[in-house]
Amino acid sequence: MPKKLDKVINRAIHLFLPWHTNNQKARLIHPQIIILFVIKLIVLQVGLQFIPASGLKILGYAANISPDEVIRITNEQRVSVGLLPLEANPTLAQAAQAKGADMLNNNYWAHVSPDGTQPWSFFVNAGYSYRYAGENLARDFTNPASAVEAWMASPTHKDNLLSANYRDIGIAVIEGDLDGVDTTIIVQFFGTKYTDTVPSVPIAEAQPASTEAPQFSPSPAPVAATFPSPSPESSLVAVQTPIAEAGPIGGRVLISPFSTTKGVSLVVVGLLLNVLVFDGLITRRRRIARIGGRTFAHLSFLGMVLAIVLILKAGQVI
Amino acid sequence: MMKRIAKHLPHYLSLAGILIAGVVGFLVFSYERAFQIAVAIGLALAYVAWGIIHHAIHRDLYLSVVVEYIVVASLGLVVILSLIFRA
Repeated sequence: MPKKLDKVINRAIHLFLPWHTNNQKARLIHPQIIILFVIKLIVLQVGLQFIPASGLKILGYAANISPDEVIRITNEQRVSVGLLPLEANPTLAQAAQAKGADMLNNNYWAHVSPDGTQPWSFFVNAGYSYRYAGENLARDFTNPASAVEAWMASPTHKDNLLSANYRDIGIAVIEGDLDGVDTTIIVQFFGTKYTDTVPSVPIAEAQPASTEAPQFSPSPAPVAATFPSPSPESSLVAVQTPIAEAGPIGGRVLISPFSTTKGVSLVVVGLLLNVLVFDGLITRRRRIARIGGRTFAHLSFLGMVLAIVLILKAGQVI
Repeated sequence: MMKRIAKHLPHYLSLAGILIAGVVGFLVFSYERAFQIAVAIGLALAYVAWGIIHHAIHRDLYLSVVVEYIVVASLGLVVILSLIFRA
């Protein structure tokens, strides 16, 4: 056998199996090596954090999300609990579009902008005089169903989505650069026009109009019997900015921080699980006694970590 | 053999309980970042505590054993936290 091949095999045995060269414990599961994995994972995260600062763009979460689909799934959820569907409103969609653009232009991810602008300003600026108003935000989802699922999983967003106070909905899906990462933001605006809730009264009895404070998670209220049915023109209502084509664009690096982290995590945890299995089997068979943690316990813990890595999905809601 | 299994069963049942609670926690608190972070830290601490108690009862608790549990728990914690913050 050539000397070089012999060296490679010995090195592999040293790394992956219990042997006299590694104190009867696969080198990859020695604490010093696991610490190296930890350090490298941290360095990877720091690197991913600083790539945007170096001037390179990361293609993070490009997605093709249809606003109509968001409205359809939202209304499905409402109908399933006995509520009437919301009507797609072009003014609200414009307001949502303005909010999304404001977030990208001013580089923030919040309900209130850094200069203190409330979401409700966008309703008023677009010409939507509201009685009730609500806002749900989502980012980095790859499809509309996951975004609605995430809102439904959060009690406050669910309250908004299933509030009987609202009659209109406006959706904007915007893709752009947020903190140096290409991001897809979904802005979901809910509202009920002031005029829809004020009964017609003689002029002499009319009170000065006052706009009720908007709510992020309003309590349900009876729905008017004359609730409008969804407009047949709903497809014209939702606003979506053109989504950039996925592919190498000048200066862009085609990596997603979440997918990269997930991939690297799966490789590291998977590798250690395999080494632990072989190490456990061999030490048991050879009846090797050694001081150390329980292999079965480490296998169980890393198995759970692997399950969590697989469970975790990209996407944030606020 | 049965005697050995019976001796270890309570230890491994408690470990299984901790780990299943962790997975269920992530399923229940999907998209709730603060809860997920709390669950991840809790899991890592619980695993180290389990290791120390288990080895103390078996009278084979050494510094190198504690370090090993801390290192494995740290790896799990770093993996989960990086994904939570990247999600």
